[in-house]
Amino acid sequence: MFPLHKNDRDKLKRQQHACQSNAHVSAESMSLSFLSYLECSGCGENYNYAELNTFCPICQSPLLSRYDLESARQHIDRDAVTRRKKGMWRWLELLPVLNRENQIFLGEGDTPLLSLPHLEKELRLSNLYVKDESSNPTGSFKARGLAVAISKAKELGVDKVIIPTAGNAGGALAAYAARAGLRAHIYMPKDTPFANIEESRMAGADVTLVDGLISDAAGMAGEKARTEGWFDVSTFKEPYRVEGKKIMGYELAEAFDWQLPDVIIYPTGGGTGLVGMWKAFDELETLGWLENTKKPRMVSVQADGCAPVVKAFNEGASFCDFWINAHTIASGLRVPKSFADHLILQDIYDSQGTAIAVSDESILESQHQLAAMEGIFAAPEGAATLAALKELIQQGWVHPEENIVLFNTGSGLKYLDYPTQ
Amino acid sequence: MNNNILYIEDNPDNMRLVQRALESRGYRLLQAKNGLDGIHTAETEQVDLILLDINLPDIDGYEVARRLRSSHKRELNSIPIIAVTANALKGDAERALEAGCDVYMSKPINIRELWARVEAFVPTP
Repeated sequence: MFPLHKNDRDKLKRQQHACQSNAHVSAESMSLSFLSYLECSGCGENYNYAELNTFCPICQSPLLSRYDLESARQHIDRDAVTRRKKGMWRWLELLPVLNRENQIFLGEGDTPLLSLPHLEKELRLSNLYVKDESSNPTGSFKARGLAVAISKAKELGVDKVIIPTAGNAGGALAAYAARAGLRAHIYMPKDTPFANIEESRMAGADVTLVDGLISDAAGMAGEKARTEGWFDVSTFKEPYRVEGKKIMGYELAEAFDWQLPDVIIYPTGGGTGLVGMWKAFDELETLGWLENTKKPRMVSVQADGCAPVVKAFNEGASFCDFWINAHTIASGLRVPKSFADHLILQDIYDSQGTAIAVSDESILESQHQLAAMEGIFAAPEGAATLAALKELIQQGWVHPEENIVLFNTGSGLKYLDYPTQ
Repeated sequence: MNNNILYIEDNPDNMRLVQRALESRGYRLLQAKNGLDGIHTAETEQVDLILLDINLPDIDGYEVARRLRSSHKRELNSIPIIAVTANALKGDAERALEAGCDVYMSKPINIRELWARVEAFVPTP
């Protein structure tokens, strides 16, 4: 993987524009994606998407997919996308997989945006919603990112993939790798929820349980990847998981009639969803698809036993310190330091958002509340967003009439070996 | 300050990456490929900050940090030390801080973060 020189870059872009201008003509043609190049989020260097990329070799920051949005604007009918068959791949022009035959589809995407009438009344709010990601394959939002990452890996000729995970990403990787016919190896903390371990093994993945955290698992997976040639699909160490997650942002815009909610409250471990949605909002604006370009304030929610983003935000920092002795029942939030910490923080700052830590006790209480009042058995990470909302109301940070969206990132059914209230 | 950064690291790829990054900001990089050489360089050269890999071929980075903190050269007792590891073992961060390091960074080293961390101790020349 090498950076492109400017002349090559310009040539590549011209070729791609030409291809894409032809590609849009027929919905049945091979490549409909308007993917143009990969850009380093740190130093801005560009890379060729036709090669297998990880992260920037120059400054070691995550790579982001850039699309020819001007051409896309001319050739994609926003309302036609709405009429397509449901599922994440209906946004295929804005996803990085070039050939339809490489799309691995298990039913991901188009999760419901549910109103929360009883909680609205309880919390004296007017417009409270939850984007319920638990209906994704393997029961969590991780399906979105891994559907794209595995599809793209397959397209680029990868035959074995490896991942460190706090839980749900392992199950999702195993499922999509099985469907794609790729070998999968998963490193996860030994106290990861049992459901995550079993679903990964059931799908044929090799599972290594690690005496440590996801950061320890990441070290081991990275070492195996380097020495044995596995492709590492760790969060932000390849460019495409975030592309799957960004579709949550497109779906939200569509659900709000091409406007955006005022506040999005999102649980943050690796931060792919938060970064992905903010990227989606930028793309939507460039595409000219928004009726109102006012963007949401992004709220990053962490557990007080592992809150590196909250600490960095409160200090006005650009990067997170590694969180020592991370602990929380919300296993997906037990990430001592994200590889994309500077992107997460930048997006929170840019959105005039905030970051907030909540206790395990308040997570459990909110989990019970969501189930008892609204019939939603949320993952603890999802319940954490309700706990955070209650804090934000007390602080006067949200206004009662605002459109507020909580994110439930997975099903509570996958955490039955944890204590519940 | 002389803007001298000592990097104790046995991996030549990481050494080259950090050298490029820091020299582009005007720092001078002193290099040591193992722990004992690193301690020797720290004790004999004028150094303003130490980047310390933990997994070294002779003594590990924790031991290097402990020896630097108890060195006869008094400046080393308080010199900024940034631990840099692949965190392949449980508790690397905790152990690094307990051994006397000021900051912990995990590999892969994000260069923008490296600049920020170094500049917090040694302003850009």
